[in-house]
Amino acid sequence: MPLSTTHDPCLQGDGLVIPSPCRPEKRKTQMKKMVSFMAVLAIVAASLFGFSKAAQADEIKFVGVITKIEIAGKDAKTATATLKDNKTEALIVITVNDDLTLDKFKDHRIVEGDEIRCKYEVIDGKNVSKLFRKTAGC
Amino acid sequence: MNQMLKKYLSGALLLALAVPASAMADDEAMKLKVDELTRKVAKLEDKTLSKWLDIGGDYRFRLDSMRGQTKAYTDANGTFTNAANTLQGNFFADPTGPTLAPGLNAGMLSGLMGFSNQMKTTTTFAGAQAFLQQPATQQMLGGLQNFAQQVPAYKPNNDTLYTNRLGIDLHAKATKDVTVNVRLVAYKTFGSQDDSAVTNGGSTPFFADRVGTFDGTLGHVPSSSLLDVDRAFATWANIADQPVWFSVGRRPSTNGAPSNLRMNNERPGNGGTPALLVDYAFDGMTIGYAPDIDGLPGAYAKVCYGRGFESGLETTSNSLNDTDMLGVAIIPIDTDPLRISMQWNRGFNIFDFPVMKNTAFGNTAPSTALGDIDWYEIGALSTIKNVGPGKLNFFADAGLSVTHPNNNVSGAAGFQGLMTGAFFNPEAPSDKTGWAGYLGARYDFEPTKTKVGFEYNHGSKNWITFAPAADDMWTSKLGTRGNVYEAYLIQELGLKPISSHLSKAFFRVGFQYYDFEYTGSNNWVGAPVKIADIQANSMQMLIPLEKAYDIYATFEVKF
Repeated sequence: MPLSTTHDPCLQGDGLVIPSPCRPEKRKTQMKKMVSFMAVLAIVAASLFGFSKAAQADEIKFVGVITKIEIAGKDAKTATATLKDNKTEALIVITVNDDLTLDKFKDHRIVEGDEIRCKYEVIDGKNVSKLFRKTAGC
Repeated sequence: MNQMLKKYLSGALLLALAVPASAMADDEAMKLKVDELTRKVAKLEDKTLSKWLDIGGDYRFRLDSMRGQTKAYTDANGTFTNAANTLQGNFFADPTGPTLAPGLNAGMLSGLMGFSNQMKTTTTFAGAQAFLQQPATQQMLGGLQNFAQQVPAYKPNNDTLYTNRLGIDLHAKATKDVTVNVRLVAYKTFGSQDDSAVTNGGSTPFFADRVGTFDGTLGHVPSSSLLDVDRAFATWANIADQPVWFSVGRRPSTNGAPSNLRMNNERPGNGGTPALLVDYAFDGMTIGYAPDIDGLPGAYAKVCYGRGFESGLETTSNSLNDTDMLGVAIIPIDTDPLRISMQWNRGFNIFDFPVMKNTAFGNTAPSTALGDIDWYEIGALSTIKNVGPGKLNFFADAGLSVTHPNNNVSGAAGFQGLMTGAFFNPEAPSDKTGWAGYLGARYDFEPTKTKVGFEYNHGSKNWITFAPAADDMWTSKLGTRGNVYEAYLIQELGLKPISSHLSKAFFRVGFQYYDFEYTGSNNWVGAPVKIADIQANSMQMLIPLEKAYDIYATFEVKF
């Protein structure tokens, strides 16, 4: 609580505010400030919690067919795959960074035309793959 | 002048205004043309076959040089044939004779025929015991000793066996989430349109899975140039928008992992069965589920069913049951660095003989169901990149088989049951447990596209698998009761693929050495006998092979 040295009939000694029944206005102000602080704290906590919930909700799943794979050579550490969502027919560009999937691009075990079950997160405006797997079946 | 200038300026102004207008009109026309072209291209793309149909396949030329070493034994089938030929010959030479014992020739022939017929219709352990104890049977058995066909030990060999194999693969996307896969195979021996080169040409065969070609081995045992349907199945995936699928038809239950390594194939993916347990073209169905579990990448599980024998209508003369197989596969991890598989199968109403034509035993068919078999498997397969200038693949598989015989025996097989008894010596039914181990490695040297591999498998005395369609000439190596060693080298030509990304051409040379410890590899009829204990008077239905070698070389093209 902030210290105050304004002139006050209850001031004693070195001028520090002394919590006292003779200063009901000051106590009310302090209470108000405490309540305000707690309210701000609660809002900030709620925002943080809400933000993290929203971050998990950013994980998007869909099934689509690969229309294009772009990978810069056999030493590439990243690639992009464009998939056509089976349901909406929208083209979605996915960034793939995991080695196992990149290996499958490089040795053509996953190629254009393959149907993929994909899960991605939007990070810095890019759809980053979390799961990139051929549709199961056989 | 001012007037002229004004007119000039006005004209220029009008012209300046008109240019963008005409440019805009050109742009609009261009846009319409581009839109029309885009629509035409899209229409053409929709009509192209490659949008919905993939065609591929493979061709293989193979040379095998096979050698073996048998044990001296008494041939059961040969003994009966000997007896039948001699008695028939006597009868036809003198139907009412011999002079000193009129009617004896006819009586003996008739007795043998009656004995054979009664044998075939005796299908229980108790019935077999009762039959064998009859005085007439004892007399016949004694008489048969006179016709015993003893076969001394010898070294069978075929220096050059050439085969051709052609496979055609079709993959069609019929509708959204529904595909059809087909594989057609023709597999024949040079200069032959039958399977005699691997079944010993009408003489007593060496192994039960090479007596003849039957339903689940068509296209996997060299037989003829007919294009057989090896696989034909439809799959409905993404059921209810979940990673669930249903698949039905002639299944991809041959050449499973890890046999893809020595065959230089891609990993089977979700399809397929572990090679140690099943290598048989089943007609059946699968339900599968591939959940997304963070700690278990690539995980999936499936329930598989297959029919091994259709018994047809149940009538007063046909009480056979169908032979079915049920399996559950759990693959908790399926990635390049690690694939773990676990499987349980159960075969119900296992038959004594499959349906086969023109074998050394004539036309065969199931005469009885001998019981059930449980199988268990656990395996791991790994591919590690950047091991030196290449990658290393290695695997280890373990299997367990547990037979559950019923009270039935096979009369056509001398009263042998499910892993019980010997010819004319039935054994009370009891469960038998066998095990097998299979491990190997292959190093892929990337700079020259050379692959070197080595495999070893061991099967215990009572080990039995269901792998007659395995790609081995002598017998399915993974069903061996003993040890098999195989080394091979694959040299890809490294030529630029044209027909598909995965197309390639390569040579493969290899050597297999079979060390048989017990009889009956790949045979669930009769109890195994230690090879070292086989004597010249041991009656066997199949030739007991002590050891065998196969040096092979192939030229293969996958397109």
